[in-house]
This record gives sequence, C-alpha cells and structure tokens, in this order.
Amino acid sequence: MSIVEHQFDLAAPRISEAGVADYVALLKPRVMSLVVFTALVGLVIAPGHFHPVLAFTSILCIAVGAGASGTLNMWYESDIDALMSRTANRPIPRGRVTGPEALTFGMTLAFFSVMTLGILVNWFAGALLAFTIFFYVVIYTIALKRWTAQNIVIGGVAGALPPVVAWVAATGSLSLEPILLFLIIFFWTPPHFWALALFRNDDYARAGVPMLPVVAGPDATRLQILLYTIVLVAVAAAPWPLGYFDAVYGIASLLLGAAMLWLAIDVYRRRQGVAALRATRKLFAFSIFYLFALFATLLIEVLVRAIAPWVG
Amino acid sequence: MEDKQEPKGIVLTEAQKKSRRERSIAIALALGVLVVLFFAVTMVKGPAVLVRPM
Repeated sequence: MSIVEHQFDLAAPRISEAGVADYVALLKPRVMSLVVFTALVGLVIAPGHFHPVLAFTSILCIAVGAGASGTLNMWYESDIDALMSRTANRPIPRGRVTGPEALTFGMTLAFFSVMTLGILVNWFAGALLAFTIFFYVVIYTIALKRWTAQNIVIGGVAGALPPVVAWVAATGSLSLEPILLFLIIFFWTPPHFWALALFRNDDYARAGVPMLPVVAGPDATRLQILLYTIVLVAVAAAPWPLGYFDAVYGIASLLLGAAMLWLAIDVYRRRQGVAALRATRKLFAFSIFYLFALFATLLIEVLVRAIAPWVG
Repeated sequence: MEDKQEPKGIVLTEAQKKSRRERSIAIALALGVLVVLFFAVTMVKGPAVLVRPM
C-alpha cells in the first residue's frame, strides 16, 4: 500500500445555492430606495449644471454604497437577526448566504462605490460616501446598536448623509441647504424607528437590543417620540422663513408636520391595548410618507421651474 | 463497452448549477455597467477626466 492512496476524510465543501435575489435582499432594497430618493433631491436642488451622466453615476454610487452598508449590517447582525421575527427571513439567518460571503460582497460594493464616485465625480463626495458607510457599519452597527438606547439617534447621521453626498457630488462643496436636508432626516429618524420599536418591543427584547422601549419603557419612548416630532416639524419648516426653500415647500411642511404631530400626540395619549398598537403603526407608516412627501415637494418644485420657468 | 467515465470530485446539483450561472451573469452585467460608466464619463469629461478635484 502506498502513501499516495491514503484516504483523507475531508468534510465536503459547502456549495452555495444563493441566487441573485438573495444578494439583492442583502442590499436592503427598501432602505436603498429611500436613500436614492433623498439623494436625488439633494442632487436636483444643487445649483449649477450637472451633466446627466455624472448625475446618474453619483446616484448609482450612493445606491451601491447604501447597499454595501446594508450588507455589512446584515453580516454583523446575523446572530440577532435570527432571533427577531422581522429579520429571521434575511439571507444569512436562513442559511442562503454565509457570513464570509456577505462580508466579501459588502466590502467589494463599498470599495467600488467609493472609488468610482471619487474617480469619476470628485473625491470630496467619494470621501463623504466612505464616511457614511463607515459610520453606519462601524459606529452604528458595531459600536452603538448593542450598547446604548441612543443607537438610532446617533446612527441617524448615516441615514441623513445621502442628500449631502449628492449635493457635494454636484457642486464639489458644502453649503447650508444640504445640511438642512440632513437635519430633517436626522430628526425624523428617532420618531420613525421608535414607533417601530414600540410595536416590535418583544423582538428587540428577545434579541437583547437596547432600543429605547426595552431600556426606558414604552411611556418614556412615547414622550421622546413626541419631543423629537416637535423638533422635526420646526426643523422641517425652518428653511421657509429662513429663505432657503419657498412658500410651497413651507406650506407642505406645515401641513405634513401637523399630521405627523397629531399622530405623535395620539401615540403619546393611547398607551394600552389595540388602540395604542394601532396608533404606533399609523405613526410608523405615516412617517415614511411624511419624509417622502416633504422631499417630493422640493423635487416637484425644481422640476416645475425647469419645465415652466415663468411659474416661480 | 461503456466509454463514459464516472465524474470525479464534486458534482454540482441542478440547483447549484442554476444559482452559480445566475450569479455569474449578475457579475458579468455589473462589470459591463462599470465599463460603460467609465467609458461614458470619459466621453462626457474629455481630457478633464484626468482632473479629479478634491
């Protein structure tokens, strides 16, 4: 018997059956769509002419960067995702994609999105996109999420940056308008996510994620939602009297803000049973529409002015 | 006499082959988009494509 014929008992390598749909799910397409939309508004309201090819490149890079952030977030959080009903069906807990596969995919997307934006558009925008991905993955996902109830408040920085990245891509510089958009998304984040956390409280508690309702209780969360909504409505309306956005935006922001505030008051008042659950669900759903409608107003205004300059 | 050789090593199932093909096509498309993007921006910017402001 020769040595060469010796049989090694090696475990069979894992062959992936993950399809494109699994990798698309890693990108968090719903979050990505909001990122793309807010970035598009940042790009459109930026002054000066920006070539459509460069505009498309910028939005694509921001979208891919958001996808990279989502993928790296799912890679790091696969253990707690498996414990929560909302996230248990994600590709890693389901066993469709392994952790290392997701990490490689996320890092590749992050690298290409930042480098492409830097090389083809400008390095300021590229660096800001890199910072956004870093903030979402390292600061929010790794450092804050499992440590503090203020996780989504501070982490909101990452979600609020896409319109700023888009503005910088278009202009090469920073000014107050994109910072106002940043502030709107920043103050929108806590009421939106805490409304979700209120009706997913058991999920977060089971996974040991210190969301505000888990740590401070539902009543304290309801108060925080109300306080942040008051600040949000004021911040969203401020650009009108300050002269940055015009009256159409101002009125839209006040009407939408009044509805958002009404729902936040409803969440604060109704604390028990089905009525309380319904109120938080309503606020959560409306908060998505609120941000979309607010940014859509800015987008429509710019488009109307471009098509019919005599209007404004 | 049977000429056909028994396959050696790992034999992929149909599902594995299908998903691998899907992933390969997606990677090819992504690379294609990247090439088209760099070409289009080069056409738009002309020689200025080498000027990359900070």
